[in-house]
Amino acid sequence: MRVLIVEDEPRLAENIARSLRESAGYAVDIAPDGQEGLFLAQSNAYDVVLLDLMLPHLDGMQLLTRIREAGQHTPVLVLTARDDKESVVALLNAGADDYLTKPFDLGELLARTKALIRRGKGQPSPLLTIGDLELNTVNRTVQRAGRPITLTAMEYRVLEYLAHRPRAVISKTELLEHLYDYNWEKFSNVIEVYISGLRRKLDDGSSRQLIHTIRGQGYILQD
Amino acid sequence: MLRDSIKGRLIATVILSQSLLAAGLLFAGVFYTHRRLLSTLDAGMQARAMSVAALVRYTEDASGNVYFDNSLMPESLDPNHPDLFAVWTERSGLLVRSANWPSDLNLEHVGDKYWGFSWDNVPYRALRVSHVPVLDREEGRSFQPQTLTIVYAAPMIRLREQVRAAGVFIALASLVLLGVTVLLALWGIRRGLLPLRHLAGQAALVTAHRWDFHPAEEAQQIAELRPLTQSMTSMLGRLEHSFLQQREFLGNAAHELKTPVAVLKSTLQSLLHRPRTSEEYRAGLEQSLEDLNRLEQLLQWMLRLARAEQWAHGALRRDLQVIDINVTCEEAVERIRSLAQERNTRITLSTNGPVPLRADPEDLQLVWINLLENAVRYSPEGASVEVAVTCKDGGPAQVVFEDHGAGIAAQDLPHLFERFYRGDPSRTRATGGFGLGLAITKALVEAYGGTITADSTPGTGTRMTVELPLR
Repeated sequence: MRVLIVEDEPRLAENIARSLRESAGYAVDIAPDGQEGLFLAQSNAYDVVLLDLMLPHLDGMQLLTRIREAGQHTPVLVLTARDDKESVVALLNAGADDYLTKPFDLGELLARTKALIRRGKGQPSPLLTIGDLELNTVNRTVQRAGRPITLTAMEYRVLEYLAHRPRAVISKTELLEHLYDYNWEKFSNVIEVYISGLRRKLDDGSSRQLIHTIRGQGYILQD
Repeated sequence: MLRDSIKGRLIATVILSQSLLAAGLLFAGVFYTHRRLLSTLDAGMQARAMSVAALVRYTEDASGNVYFDNSLMPESLDPNHPDLFAVWTERSGLLVRSANWPSDLNLEHVGDKYWGFSWDNVPYRALRVSHVPVLDREEGRSFQPQTLTIVYAAPMIRLREQVRAAGVFIALASLVLLGVTVLLALWGIRRGLLPLRHLAGQAALVTAHRWDFHPAEEAQQIAELRPLTQSMTSMLGRLEHSFLQQREFLGNAAHELKTPVAVLKSTLQSLLHRPRTSEEYRAGLEQSLEDLNRLEQLLQWMLRLARAEQWAHGALRRDLQVIDINVTCEEAVERIRSLAQERNTRITLSTNGPVPLRADPEDLQLVWINLLENAVRYSPEGASVEVAVTCKDGGPAQVVFEDHGAGIAAQDLPHLFERFYRGDPSRTRATGGFGLGLAITKALVEAYGGTITADSTPGTGTRMTVELPLR
């Protein structure tokens, strides 16, 4: 999963980013102002945007309106210092999916972010099930037929992304875009390495293959 | 109770004035009636006295003696208390007196033309006339005519009764009229005070959340209420303005405080999220301390602003001393020198002589430092900043700060001195500003009765002008 944080207070942005990286294993990009936020949101695929309202150059409300006008469905969680009813209503009506008032709890922010990602991909439950495979997105554990599977951080992130959209063909490019932040060099053969590692661990001791390769298109996770 | 109510006071006034009027009317009425009745009585008595005189005849013999012919005597005015009369002749004294004339009453030489006396508890009015009876002059007879003195007295009982009746009538009529007047006045006052009650009702609707005050058209047109409605409207306007300002300040302050608190909180939470190395803890704590310092600084600025605004609104000042504006400017330039050197900025200070002012030197220094810091920060490296202190005779002291930086956009100029206003947030945040410096500067300048204005041409530079009256 890849998250965009648009926040002009660098210290706050850094703290949120660290927390998302450490506790959820998400790739995080930070934009220090509205203009850069809009540019990043339009040129990259994010699974959720955390948006501050008081921003230089282009404020959060304008940014929100712009990306909704451009037809982007990315869930947006607004971080605001104002918690009066009018501004919350205006925010939600402008296309925000959720909001948190400053100062907020990092744990709550994390939970809301995960929930928004799930809902954005049509998965209401934090427990993802594909056949006999079970993925717990809260404590990041994987089981197949009751047997716990230990994955590397990167392998888990690939599987988590696939599991959020089961039975859909997901290209290597899409995986790259959603698993790495802006500062990483992206090599598609890295994905192949993780996929093969995942296959080995998931299918060990099982007759049914879960990750299927569609030649020239990508991968499908299905029973 | 009457004193506490306009209605009561007005009614009291009405009753008092009406009573005075009634008393006056009663007195005048009684006096007039008495006079009229008395003059009527006098005329009647005069006529009767003349009738009595006409009944005195000369005897047939040419002696010139007279006699009284009783046969044609007119009836008394008051049948219950018959009139008294007596006639005296020059030669023979008492000629005749009425049958009811008291034997021990002697009125022959008492009194003037009219006088009053009381007899047997009956008040009488008496008249004395001297008369020479006109006689038929027969041929060959001539004699010395006699002068008669006639005293005629009539009782005044009926007159007194009539006067009393007139008095009672006037008093009763006045009382009824007084009652009617009071009722009318009550009704009129109630009607007259209605707009005031409406006004009070309207004023009662004003709350901290609803400032609309719409006095009725009537209340605005009534001459006595117009000053009240006008001052209420303007007072509410001023109150609303300062209330909204306070609320805005609170909102802004809360907003500004929330961000550093959010930073601090997130830093500490992410530190606690998982076990860290002692280096990580140390780094996190140092970061937290830094955030806390920023928060403290913001609080200090806010308190300073609140104080400056209190002074501007006439709160007590500390001891002021006479200082030279030039000296405070020089000190401010000295304080800003390290920043200026860092940015390679040259500050020139020009003056046309000492400008003494009663002020707190720290206040003035803070003003100059704020303005200088802005000028230096927003100038390109290696630019120059000019400070000019001038004072014309009798006029205010003028201190002008001119920089050659990027200038201020026209849409930002009107908001420049607003609290927490940041034309370009990223820039001020990068320079550690909270958007309070210029607000404090303005409040301090205003506390000394001065003004501050900003002129700017984007791309050319900004000129800040402070004018301070020398009092």
